[in-house]
Amino acid sequence: MKRLLPLVLTVTTLILLAVSWVQAGGLKRHAIFSAATPEEAVQALMADIQARNWDRAFARLDPSNDVEKAAFIRDIAGTDGSLRTYGSLQSFDVWPQHADQNQAVMRVRMRWSTAVGPLDDVRDLTVRRDGALWRVVWPKPNLPKVPPQVMAVNYLRWDVIGNETSQPWGAQSVDSPQVRITSMNAVERPDRVVVMGEVENEDTVPAYVNVNATLLKPDGSAIDQEGSFDLISHTLLPKQVSPYRIDFPGIRISQVKSVRMDARALLVPASADPVIAVADQAMSKDALGRNVLKGDLLDQSGETVNISQVLATFYDSSGKVIWVSNGYVDQALLPQIATPFSVDVPDDVVTRMKNYHVLVNHYIRTSS
Amino acid sequence: MVRGLCIYFVGLLGMGALASQSADAAALHPPPSVQAGQAFVIQTEGSGEGTFYLLGPGSAMKRTVQLGSDVSIAADEVTTAGRYQAIICAANDCTHTAFDVVSGPPARVSFFLHPSRVPVSTPNVIDGTAFVFDRYYNPVLHPAKVDFQIAPVSGAPFSRVDESERGVAWVRLGSSGKEGPLRVTADIGSAKEPRVIQQVAAEACHLRVKATPGKRGVVFETDPVRDCSGNPLPDGTIVSFTKVDASGMTTVDTPIKKGIALTELPVKGNARVTVACGVVLGNELSVAGNR
Amino acid sequence: MTLRSRFLGTSLLVIVIALAARAQSLPQVSLNADNLSPRPIEQLTGTNITRNYSMAWHAMALALEQNRPDLLNDQFTGFAKDHLSQRIADQRRNGLRVQIIDKGHHVKALFYSLDGGAMQLLDDAQIEVQVFDGSRLIYSDDAPHRYLVLMTPGADRWYVRDLERAPDKER
Repeated sequence: MKRLLPLVLTVTTLILLAVSWVQAGGLKRHAIFSAATPEEAVQALMADIQARNWDRAFARLDPSNDVEKAAFIRDIAGTDGSLRTYGSLQSFDVWPQHADQNQAVMRVRMRWSTAVGPLDDVRDLTVRRDGALWRVVWPKPNLPKVPPQVMAVNYLRWDVIGNETSQPWGAQSVDSPQVRITSMNAVERPDRVVVMGEVENEDTVPAYVNVNATLLKPDGSAIDQEGSFDLISHTLLPKQVSPYRIDFPGIRISQVKSVRMDARALLVPASADPVIAVADQAMSKDALGRNVLKGDLLDQSGETVNISQVLATFYDSSGKVIWVSNGYVDQALLPQIATPFSVDVPDDVVTRMKNYHVLVNHYIRTSS
Repeated sequence: MVRGLCIYFVGLLGMGALASQSADAAALHPPPSVQAGQAFVIQTEGSGEGTFYLLGPGSAMKRTVQLGSDVSIAADEVTTAGRYQAIICAANDCTHTAFDVVSGPPARVSFFLHPSRVPVSTPNVIDGTAFVFDRYYNPVLHPAKVDFQIAPVSGAPFSRVDESERGVAWVRLGSSGKEGPLRVTADIGSAKEPRVIQQVAAEACHLRVKATPGKRGVVFETDPVRDCSGNPLPDGTIVSFTKVDASGMTTVDTPIKKGIALTELPVKGNARVTVACGVVLGNELSVAGNR
Repeated sequence: MTLRSRFLGTSLLVIVIALAARAQSLPQVSLNADNLSPRPIEQLTGTNITRNYSMAWHAMALALEQNRPDLLNDQFTGFAKDHLSQRIADQRRNGLRVQIIDKGHHVKALFYSLDGGAMQLLDDAQIEVQVFDGSRLIYSDDAPHRYLVLMTPGADRWYVRDLERAPDKER
C-alpha cells in the first residue's frame, strides 16, 4: 500500500503529461520536425525559420550545394536594414511540383508580416533523400557584392530654416509649396469605390504631399472621407508627379454624387539623391499565375536604400489613370546593383491598359 | 411701544432717502473719446465711498473710490481700443456710462506678400495685403496712406500708394520676365516692412534630349532646360527619361544639375527615348544600341 | 423604486438633456458676402466662416461667464485671444463675471485678401450683457452692438484674430 500510492501518482502524472503534449500539437510538431517526406522536410525548415532557429534550419539543408550559413541567414532574414529584417514569417504553404524516389521539387509560399503589411515570397525548393531523411537543397544565394569605390555626390539638397510659427502675425514666412491635382478618376471595384489620379509639385521647392478625398451625396453631405496613406509618393521634388489612390471600402458608386479633393503640401527638407532607375519593366505572370509588372531597380547613388516602395500607374488609351498598384521590395537597394521588383496588377486592368509609369519611394535609415 | 415703532420706521425712510440720494448723486463723466494709451480722468459726482469698475475689451478694473473726486485712469489701463463701460456702485445702486477708446496714429504694419515663389511673366499673380495698427496693435480705422515700394529684378523701382480702409490696404502685381528676387516694402511713414519673394522660371519650354555613347551604355542628356522666356529651370527640378527597347521600358527621374539633366542607360537593340518635365513633354529620340 | 425617487431621477435626466442642448446650441449668424472684394468668397469658406464665428461667440460667452481663458483656444488667436485672456484674468482677480445672452448676428463680409489669408467682417449683433460682482448685478445692457472682426484661417477652421467694438458711425 505504501508503494502503491506513489506508483499510481507517478503513472497518472505521466499520462496527463502525454495527453497535454498531444493536445498542444506535439504529434503534429513531431511530424513537422521529422522530415520523413519531402513535404515534411520543407515544412520543418519553414518552422525553424519561423522560430528564427537558424542553427537547426541550417542543419536541415543538403550540404552538397555548399551554402554558407551566414549567406543562408542573410538570404532568408534579410540584410542592410531591408524590409525583410523588420519582418517575421507569419505562415507558409507547401505543395509538391513533382517528385520521384530520391528527389522532389516543392513549391513554398511564405507569408511575411512586416510593418507595411504582408509580403509574399514564393520559391521552388529541390529536396533530396539522404538516407531516411529528406533534406532541402537551398539555392546558393547570389548576394551582390558592391565593389569598393568613391562616388562623388553633388545632387541638390534643400533645407528649411527660420520658418517658425511663433513669429508675430505678419512677419516673413515662406509659403507652402504649390501642388496641383492633375487628374482624378473615381471607379467602382467589387467591394469599394476607388479615387485615383496624379498630383504634381508645380513649385520649385520640395513638398510633402497628402491627398484626401470626400465622397458627397446628392444633397452635398459627406458619405466618407479618406486619405491616400501610402498609395502616394509623399515627398515630391520640383515638377515631380506622383500617382495617388484612395480606397473607400464598402461604398457603391451609385451612392456618390461628387468627390471633393483636397491636396495639402508642407515645406520639408529633402535631397535629390538617390536617383533610382526603373529598368526592364515588363508585364508578366508570377509563380502563382498572377499578372505582375516586374523590372529591376537600380540605385544610381552611393547610398544603400534600406526600404523601397514601387508605385505603378496604369493608363488607358486616352491617358486616363485606370489603376495604381503598389508594392514594397523586401531587399535593400545596394549602390549600382540591380534589384528585382514586381507589383500585382488586376486582370481587368491588364486588358484595358495602354501604358504605365513606375515611381519609386525610398526610405533610408539614418545612422544615429 | 407705538412711538418706538414710528421712530424706527421714520429712521428707515430717512436712511432710504439718503441712500437713494447718494445713488442718484453717483454720476460719471468720462471724456467723450480717449486715444489708446493716453491717461485721463473720469469725474464722479456724489458723496461717500463707492466701487468703480472699468470694463474694456482687454481689461476689467475694480477699485474703491471716493464719490465726488476724479478717478485717474493710467495710460497702460486703456491700451486696447474699443467700447469701455465705466460703472460706479454705491450702497444700493449702480450707474454706468460708456465711452470709446480709439486707436492712435499709425505706428505698425503687418504685411503679407504672396506667394513666396511666382513663375515669371504672369499677370496679377502677386498680391500684397497690409494691416495698419497703432503702437498697441489696435487697427487704425481711419484712412492711412500705405506706400507699396516695388524693387523688381530688372528695371527701375516704382511705388503704388493705397489708402487703407478700416486698417487694410492691398496691392496686386504681375511678375516680370526675369527670374530672381522681387522686393516689396509697405511703408506707412512711421514704419516699413520689406518682403522678398522669388520669381522663378515657368514651365520648361523646347525640352530636348540628345544621346552620346557612354562607358556603360548611352548617355542621354538634355539641352539646358529653360522656360519660354529663357530663364533656366532651377537645379533639383525633376526630369523624367523613358526608354523603350528590346528589354522593356526603363524610366529614370533625375534632377537637373547645373542646368541640364542626364542619365546613362544600357540600350538593347533599337530604343525610343522620350523626356518630360512635369507635364511638359520633350522630343522623342530613336537610338540604336547593342544587339 | 418609489414614486419620489423616480420623479427625481426623471427630473435629473431632463436637466441633463437641457444642459446638453444648451451647451450645443450656437448663436445664429447670417453672413452677407455680396460684393466682397478683392477676392470672391467660396461657398465652403462662407459656410466655415459662419460656423466658426458662431462657435467663437459661444466660446467667448462661456469663457467670460466661467472665467476660463482656455475655452478661447479653439476659436481665437492673436490679438483677440490676448485681449480676452487678459480681460478674463482681471475678472477672475476682481471677482467679476459676465453673462452674455446672444440673440444673433448679422455679418457683412467687407474684405477678403487675394491669398485667402484674412477676412474682415462687420457684425451687427443683438446681445444682452450682464456683469456681476460676485452675486450682485452691477451692469446690464440689451442693445445692438457693432463689431469689426478679423478672421484668419488655421489648419481646419477660421479663427477670430481681432474683435473690436466698432464706432456706431461705421457702415
